[in-house]
Amino acid sequence: MNYGFVIDNRSCIGCHACSTACKSENQVPLGVNRTWVKYTETGAYPDVRRAFQVTRCNHCSNPPCVRICPTAAMYQRDDGIVEFDTDACIGCKACTQACPYDAIYIDPDTHTAAKCHYCSHRVDVGMEPACVVVCPEHAIIAGDLDDPSSEISRKLAKNNVTVRKPEQGTAPKVFYIEGNDIAMHPTAVSREPAGMMFADVLSLHPGHPVHAPGAKSSPPPSKTGPDSRRAPQPQGLQTGGPLNVGGKMAEHMVQVGYNAQHDIQWHWQIPTYVVTKHIAAGSFGFLAAAAILPESILPFSQVAMVGGGLLGIIMTLLTLLLLVIDLDRPDRFFYLLVRPQWRSWVARAAWILSVFSGITGLWWAVEAYSWWFAWPMPSQLRVAFAAASIVPSILASTYTAFLFAQAEGRDLWQGAHVPVQMFAHMIVFGSMPFLVDGQMGGVAQVVMAVAIACSAAITLVGDVWTPHPSEVARRAGESMVKGRYRQHFWWGGLALGHILPLLCVVLAMGTLGQVPTVLMVGTGIILSLGHYLYNTAFVMAPQEIPNS
Amino acid sequence: MSQPAYQRLSDTLARLLGLPESRAAAYEKAASAPSNVAGESMPEFGPSEVPPSGELTHVRHPDGRMSSYPPPSRWNDWVEWESKAWPRKVARRYTLVPTVCFNCESGCGLLAYVDKTTYEIRKFEGNPAHPGSRGRNCAKGPATHNQIYDPERILYPLKRVGPRGSGEWRRVSWDEALDDIAAKMRESRKRSKTGITYHVGRPGEDHYANRVIQAWGVDGHNSHTNVCSASARTGYYLSAGFDRPSPDYAHAQAILLISSHLETGHYFNPHAQRIMEAKHKGAKIITLDPRLSNTASKSDVWLPTWPGSEVGVVLCFVRHLLETEQYNREFMRRWVDWRTFLSRASDSITDPEVLAHCGAGKGFDDFISALRALYRDFTFEAVAAKAEVPEERLREAAEYIARAGTRLAAHNWRSASIANRGGWQVTRALSLLHAVTGSLGTKGGTAGNSWNKFKPKAWKMPPKIDVWDEVQLPDEYPFAHFEMSFLLPHFLQEGRGTIDVYFTRVYNPLWTNPDGFMWYRMLRDEEQIGLHVALTPTWNESAWFADYVLPMGHSGERHDFVSYETHAGKWIGFRQPVRRVAMQRAGIEVARTYEANPGEVWEEAEFWNDLSWRMDPDGEMGIRQWFESPNDPTRPITQDEYWAWIFENSVPGLPAAAEAEGLTPLEYMRKYGAFEVEKDVYTPYEHEVAGTIDGEHVVDAAGKRIGVVVDGVARAGFLTPSRKVEILSTTLMDWGWNEAEYSVPWPLPSHVAREEIPFGDGGMLLLPNFRLPTLIHTRSANAKWLVEISHHNPVWLHPSDAKRMGVETGDLLRIDTEIGWFVDRVWVTEGIKPGILAISHHLGRWRLKEDQGLNRMASSLVELGEADQEYTLNVKHGAAKFKSSDPDTERIWWETVGVHQNLTHAVHPDPISGAHCWLQKAVRVRKAEPNEAYGEVHVSTERSMEVYRQWLSWTRPASKFSPDGTRRPMWLKRPITPVESAYKLPE
Repeated sequence: MNYGFVIDNRSCIGCHACSTACKSENQVPLGVNRTWVKYTETGAYPDVRRAFQVTRCNHCSNPPCVRICPTAAMYQRDDGIVEFDTDACIGCKACTQACPYDAIYIDPDTHTAAKCHYCSHRVDVGMEPACVVVCPEHAIIAGDLDDPSSEISRKLAKNNVTVRKPEQGTAPKVFYIEGNDIAMHPTAVSREPAGMMFADVLSLHPGHPVHAPGAKSSPPPSKTGPDSRRAPQPQGLQTGGPLNVGGKMAEHMVQVGYNAQHDIQWHWQIPTYVVTKHIAAGSFGFLAAAAILPESILPFSQVAMVGGGLLGIIMTLLTLLLLVIDLDRPDRFFYLLVRPQWRSWVARAAWILSVFSGITGLWWAVEAYSWWFAWPMPSQLRVAFAAASIVPSILASTYTAFLFAQAEGRDLWQGAHVPVQMFAHMIVFGSMPFLVDGQMGGVAQVVMAVAIACSAAITLVGDVWTPHPSEVARRAGESMVKGRYRQHFWWGGLALGHILPLLCVVLAMGTLGQVPTVLMVGTGIILSLGHYLYNTAFVMAPQEIPNS
Repeated sequence: MSQPAYQRLSDTLARLLGLPESRAAAYEKAASAPSNVAGESMPEFGPSEVPPSGELTHVRHPDGRMSSYPPPSRWNDWVEWESKAWPRKVARRYTLVPTVCFNCESGCGLLAYVDKTTYEIRKFEGNPAHPGSRGRNCAKGPATHNQIYDPERILYPLKRVGPRGSGEWRRVSWDEALDDIAAKMRESRKRSKTGITYHVGRPGEDHYANRVIQAWGVDGHNSHTNVCSASARTGYYLSAGFDRPSPDYAHAQAILLISSHLETGHYFNPHAQRIMEAKHKGAKIITLDPRLSNTASKSDVWLPTWPGSEVGVVLCFVRHLLETEQYNREFMRRWVDWRTFLSRASDSITDPEVLAHCGAGKGFDDFISALRALYRDFTFEAVAAKAEVPEERLREAAEYIARAGTRLAAHNWRSASIANRGGWQVTRALSLLHAVTGSLGTKGGTAGNSWNKFKPKAWKMPPKIDVWDEVQLPDEYPFAHFEMSFLLPHFLQEGRGTIDVYFTRVYNPLWTNPDGFMWYRMLRDEEQIGLHVALTPTWNESAWFADYVLPMGHSGERHDFVSYETHAGKWIGFRQPVRRVAMQRAGIEVARTYEANPGEVWEEAEFWNDLSWRMDPDGEMGIRQWFESPNDPTRPITQDEYWAWIFENSVPGLPAAAEAEGLTPLEYMRKYGAFEVEKDVYTPYEHEVAGTIDGEHVVDAAGKRIGVVVDGVARAGFLTPSRKVEILSTTLMDWGWNEAEYSVPWPLPSHVAREEIPFGDGGMLLLPNFRLPTLIHTRSANAKWLVEISHHNPVWLHPSDAKRMGVETGDLLRIDTEIGWFVDRVWVTEGIKPGILAISHHLGRWRLKEDQGLNRMASSLVELGEADQEYTLNVKHGAAKFKSSDPDTERIWWETVGVHQNLTHAVHPDPISGAHCWLQKAVRVRKAEPNEAYGEVHVSTERSMEVYRQWLSWTRPASKFSPDGTRRPMWLKRPITPVESAYKLPE
């Protein structure tokens, strides 16, 4: 048994019956949709057509939402239906980032993830999904793809079909007969519409009006001179949509008439927690290195351990707090530990952070006890704690790269440089608390300077100079480096996050003790702010690219 | 069901944090007693110990699809898994009650899932036993549930306190309302037979209300047809004696749509199913529409005609068929009244080339030659230029039509006919095209509506009325189809009459009709309207100005008998109050439907009986007798008694079908909700009839024509005087419309023809009446799933026009009409003919009080201004979140609710059909100034009366032109036909 849908676009008349039948059957609240009919228009009067596309979860054979779900709330049934369990969901929204189709939403009633579930409660008793039954035109065909005699299999055999975004490797099982490339391609219309045929458009940035119509963010290439075609366009970033229809004169030749609202699920908490986590993991990583390495290379100071470690502990707690409050079901945060789904980097992250905070917390407590009560700390114990802390610290800092990479709906996050970049950030932030320490400060300054330089190089190579592998990644990258988030990237990420602290540290080098602590604390703050801004760009830009 | 221990911990935390507990915990509790919470809370459902059976009925559809439905044998006790609890297996136990959708006129079948514990309704699905909709629905069917659980619905009868329109209401009992209204009706009826008016917007039923009005003995029926189908009806009726078409789409080879039947219209869902069914079998779809409708987009040929040119387009097809000898000679010879054409053409036609073929001694071939001569100038080239469409598309369409022959299904629903002055000629031309192709009533052709619509015999029919109310059908409009409804305020303003008791029923004239401020004036004037009773399931702008607002049920809350011509067959549908039926199935006695419905929401069928009874409590006026129970004349007839009689005595085949299942006919209809009376109804005019031969015709014993002799055989024929298709309308000729442009299918100059539009001064043509597949005139403001999809009616504007005016999508545009102006947002699209503005109907609803008067998610709060005869509407705010019994109202995410453009529409009563010609001259269109706000409306009623008088001056009144001293050609239909003597013009 392997369920899928065929959407026969030849039959669909764009009536929205499926949309309301689904709302009725599944009691779907306002503001979210399990299935909707996208309208697009192509052509110029009088040669113009409107296309309708029933748009919904693809019940992928290889569903990224299932892989990323930390509690197996999102799961694939034996019959191929991608199902969700409201009671198991913690509201981490990772699945919404993993889905390359904008098919998953957070239900405002339950605060948990939901989407089309193929009306499995009906299918299990032999009934068809509600949308299939209501459709006046039999444009939605449900059935078993494993049965060659089923209607869906026969339709698939007889017709040319297409799926949305096959390049994602998700193996979608919603097949479109006469799929319309413009409707299928979310970025066919690059501008955010100022309105639709019969509905409002919600701005992704409340408080700011929806883009002015025809926003000329990526103007079409000039066609004035005979040589203009010789100047190539940027890689992966077409103008005028993927089909390159239209242009300056007929900018309405391709437009969206109706679509579900695109929404952003991860906000300031995520870029903030990445910073706090780097400080926490980095500082303990730095301390562990100091405890293990010969004193000639990196001396260990217990005062720095207690002071810098305290900052690390506070940052760990802040990290955990941010993670829990970002859950739409914070009451279920511990599901991450009691029912982990091990392929998920969210679940792995929870365990990594738990182990990290447990070991480092204990280590810090013992060191603090030793310092306060002047109890001599056995060096073997310290080395043991340090050795046990090293790997969890590195993992705690860098797992985020793998988590982002698992979010397959955001191609930008899958850059190969991201884990290395995060490792560099860990070292930058790890050395930060110790800049002012009389013993460790000298090395910390050098380490930080080198790490900042490496990080800057990685950022420039990875984010700016390396071509992105897909159009979606490229669009997000453009937005980050040249578009809406360019200030975050250049002023925040590069200037505050790298150049300014590097200058401060280089200035301070060799002048240990004479440098006002204030300057070094300021460096830390500037560094954190810069990275927060960079992370904001990195987290937000790809989320703004619509996936449907 | 057990839950993991950790879930108990999270549930505890959830309660602390104010989050919902897990499903596992939530579904341990279930409702255990009946409730009736609609309008006050969201429904809850009971438990079921029994799991779903998995037993299903498989239905094979004509398109090859197999669907599974709950088998009717289990409708009384059906178990399903609760989707909200899923994947937890929580079973729900329902009784499934069929009813009929009331969200447009299609009458599609619905199946209500009524919970067996609480009697709350879980959902509406399709009724697989319904022959029209075949188990499928459009977006509006499932949304019925929204309307029932609408947190802002009217639950109790309300009586006005304070001045009309002040918005102060007092809840009253049904007894109080009935007694008061009945007393006023009694008083009026004793004084006159024209003091009571029942003004119906959406009838949604056949015969019941008309019988009631007839029993009152008043000429009191007023309708909405003149803002809807009047001109199409006129053209069809004058040609072939039926007033609406019933295309057999499923078997057609060419489908010609002057409509948008793949998204709206009568009968959208049943028709759209069959149109696409034919398309998949190879039929070609040709659509005329200046706007790229969804239908146009699915068509093989889209003809974006300039409004008013459609008749020419149809005539170029006619010409092509005649010139290329592809016409249906046999049909034309047998069924077109060509003899009258030949003999009387010279009374009307002046073209010598035509007349050369006419006159005494000429035959059928001369008639064809005359037609060829008549339409010789309608070449593809000439018509393409006039209609501004690519010539090759006309040729392609003509070829499809020629190939289809008798399998030409054509439909004109609203669109061009209701849009233009002279629009009734569109259906005259279509009738001619059907005659030329021989596609009338054939398989795959186009039938008359009455051939496929079942009309029941009513129980105990009262005598015909013997009076003529000039306010309904005035002297100026002997051809109107039907009452001049939208001119009512203009008539009253002119002092043509007053109304004592005015019922509006699912009718919102102040909003829907053109020139709404005239209605605003009339409805507030207690001299003009003595008592206004609004019978409505939901708030509307007109009801705000009523004296009583009486809540009447939605589709699952009432009894109605329906039958519509959805295909080549005949069926009946039975609308039911589903809670009442469910309760009765469980053995709970319900005497009146309001006892079972939410609050005290009632239904008209019972209300009329009780009201009429109280109007004549002792029977002295002769009214009560029509409402007495056949079993006990001391009380009104019950719904069970009434419908039992209808189903036993009036529907052929139903008693036998019922008996086969061991049911009474009423039980059968309560169980299935629908019955197929006849299948495959084709060419009924060919039926042989028995009667007395009188020349060419067949008459009955009373001397009434019942047929026509064709090739020596007496056949039923058509309902025209000649019993044949009348290409030359002698009726029009005899009633003063003697010119050939009226008497034969011919394009009349539209009021919005290109030369009428002041393009030089920034004028454009405003197309204000297209519809969306998701909305219901003014009755979808209470359906959240529909409003969420569609809540905005921007101005469709071609990029070339947008560029000229310097506007882009989202900008504000000011549009000046003949009587005022309004401001709306722009939606720039290639899908509209340049020079035309299109704005969808239905949106732009408003209310005057923040928390009452209309659903807040779909209306703006406005302020109405009035100075002299200048009226204004200013928007304070649009949709916003608010707290109610439905958590969804706190999730309203849209602000825009549209612009009420109809207020600025001048009335355009067509001088013949009486239809309001909807297209408006936008005398000036420009980018709005900064002080002109979205939704703002300004109107001068002085101007509107001027436009009204101008159009009135083009009429040819019966008092001047009637050939026989009657008010209206006797053979034309009226919704309630009076006795013959009432037709006589006063001396």
